[in-house]
Amino acid sequence: MILKPTREDLKLIAWGIGRVILGVGLIMTIPLTVAIFSTEWNTILDFLVGIASCVLFWLIIENTCKVKKDLTWFHGLVVASAGWITAMLFGAIPHFLSGHFKSYLDACFDLMSGYTTTGLYLLQDLDHVSHGLNMWRHLLTYAGGQGIIVIALTFLFAGTAGAFKIYVSEGKEEKLLPNVIRTARAIWMISITYLFVGSTALMFALLHEGMPIGRGFLHSVWLFMGAWSTGGFAPQNLNLLYYHSLIVEIVTLIIFVIGSFNFALHYAVWTGKRNEIYKNVEIRSFATTSLIAVLILSIGFSKVGLYTTLTEFFRKGFYNLVSGHTTTGNSTIFSVSFYREFGFIAMWAVILAMAIGASACSTGGGFKGLRMGIISKYLWGEVKSLVSPESAVIKEKIHHIRDIWLDDAIVKGALLIVLSYVGIYFLGGLLGIIYGYSPSVAFFDAVSAGSNTGLSAGLTSPLMPALLKVYYIFEMWAGRLEFMSVFALFGTGIALIRGKRLGRK
Amino acid sequence: MNRGKKFVKVLFLLLVLSILFSSLSQVVFAEETIPINRLISNMKEYDGKEVTIEGEVVGDIMIRGQSAWITVNDDPYSRISLEEGGSFKGLSNIGIGVWAQKEQVDDIKVLGGYKNKGDIVIVRGVFHRACHEHGGDTDIHAISIEVRKQGYPFRHPIQWWKLLLAISFSLVSALLWAKLRMKKKAAISSSGKGA
Repeated sequence: MILKPTREDLKLIAWGIGRVILGVGLIMTIPLTVAIFSTEWNTILDFLVGIASCVLFWLIIENTCKVKKDLTWFHGLVVASAGWITAMLFGAIPHFLSGHFKSYLDACFDLMSGYTTTGLYLLQDLDHVSHGLNMWRHLLTYAGGQGIIVIALTFLFAGTAGAFKIYVSEGKEEKLLPNVIRTARAIWMISITYLFVGSTALMFALLHEGMPIGRGFLHSVWLFMGAWSTGGFAPQNLNLLYYHSLIVEIVTLIIFVIGSFNFALHYAVWTGKRNEIYKNVEIRSFATTSLIAVLILSIGFSKVGLYTTLTEFFRKGFYNLVSGHTTTGNSTIFSVSFYREFGFIAMWAVILAMAIGASACSTGGGFKGLRMGIISKYLWGEVKSLVSPESAVIKEKIHHIRDIWLDDAIVKGALLIVLSYVGIYFLGGLLGIIYGYSPSVAFFDAVSAGSNTGLSAGLTSPLMPALLKVYYIFEMWAGRLEFMSVFALFGTGIALIRGKRLGRK
Repeated sequence: MNRGKKFVKVLFLLLVLSILFSSLSQVVFAEETIPINRLISNMKEYDGKEVTIEGEVVGDIMIRGQSAWITVNDDPYSRISLEEGGSFKGLSNIGIGVWAQKEQVDDIKVLGGYKNKGDIVIVRGVFHRACHEHGGDTDIHAISIEVRKQGYPFRHPIQWWKLLLAISFSLVSALLWAKLRMKKKAAISSSGKGA
């Protein structure tokens, strides 16, 4: 029997969402400050309207939905999934007001792309965008990378026993510290330290490459945010190709590779467990799949005879491949080059890398290295049991912070998520083909959206069909939250319509 | 015999004319402005050839020793940007990096961005599909750069309706905040009385 959520349940969910939206409003004060310093008056107004809307929404919810009850798993899952959708709607206000989006749907597309660290965009005339809006684009991908819920947890949920439930519902399972609020703060501490170090390194690189100091500073912060969050946004339309710089490419490559690692791994290394880098299943999985993808890429390039020197292979092949594998989306080539220049084999090497993606509990998307490790270990165990005596008991383990013995529940869980990813990739590709795009292009962009990568072979544009835009928004959202919260939201919808109330005594 | 001489003369004339025509057509080819979109969609065709593009200089001039990088856009927004009231064209910008000598970019004064429409330049140069000198970048090495039209600052008149909207939302928020505070005070005092 499906139970209908009570009025109290709905109020509690709305209360949680209200807190998340207040968090969005608070983050908007940073681009507002940048707009003030840059004397961009209309952009200042865009953010004032955005902040006022968020605060107003929060106050309405606080006045009407406050209940004395703590969050359960069900509430946590729904707050996370619906919170992201509501955050998209409110976060899109400054985007839409900027006048660079044809429709609110386009603005929402860019918001979801930013929050989910995807990096695809429908914004028009990017090269004439204000500093304030550029700050917002990059900041929301940086904030989204840590998790919008993590932000809310850090500042707005202190003392709530149900906090862990919404934290996990955002696609993060690792508890670095016994207290989830302290875990959220630890994630921020790691990210802000890297922000300082990474931006400084990029600043020096950009100054060396001839950027003026003021814009060099802003670009260094934006590039860091785009790379670290594996979002892949950049302030200019040519993305990384704009800088024509090997040094900038090396620094961003290092940043997005580190950014794609599991937060638990970062924390382990920070607390002195350096051996974890070599032993961790995700690092091993990432190294193996990278090696295979690079091999396929080089076969592809040798067939088309392009990028023949080592430097060219590194800057145009390896860089874009690793950018895809870490689900970043920073690019040193034109979008059409994936389709027209790379050739079929090299293009599919990038698609494969994007589909697999980065680490669990990181800023990245895709199947995740942890699940690839679990599935391959399980398959290896099955092969071993086939060639062993019947009485032999074969058990496999993986190392992820600690040794974990694989059982059916772990393997089933990993398989369910991987199959869900394959499902959304496939459906997205099919939709693209139905709309008349070539299969390679349709699958490239569908996998890119679902794995939160952001590379495009040219399909994603403001002129793409509205249904594809909506589907890509769904792909980005479901892929980022790793499906469980999304299933819970749909379940709530069904329960609201078809569920039965418990009889009152 | 005469007919034979005549035939050779005509043949010679045709040969001279065809050489002249082909060299002329090469000149025309180089001077005819090519849209950047056509270049990047047909890289093989234009690789290593002399091309001419016309567009807005956007972003930054990045000086590297005796040379410099500029970015030239020739999309519809390089003609009328959204910031000066241009209409939506359903695309993002289309541009390409141009590698030039430092003195060639001296005349470029205004760079395109949120506050400015950049200088419109005509760049004649050699297109590279995957430039060996620049790690495989797709670029143009400039032979000449001519500033055709000076850039100018955009007018950004204050949009008062946005200010009005922000003030209205803030006023309603202030009322709701006061209501929330009153509710909290009432709850505290009632719990105090209960105790």
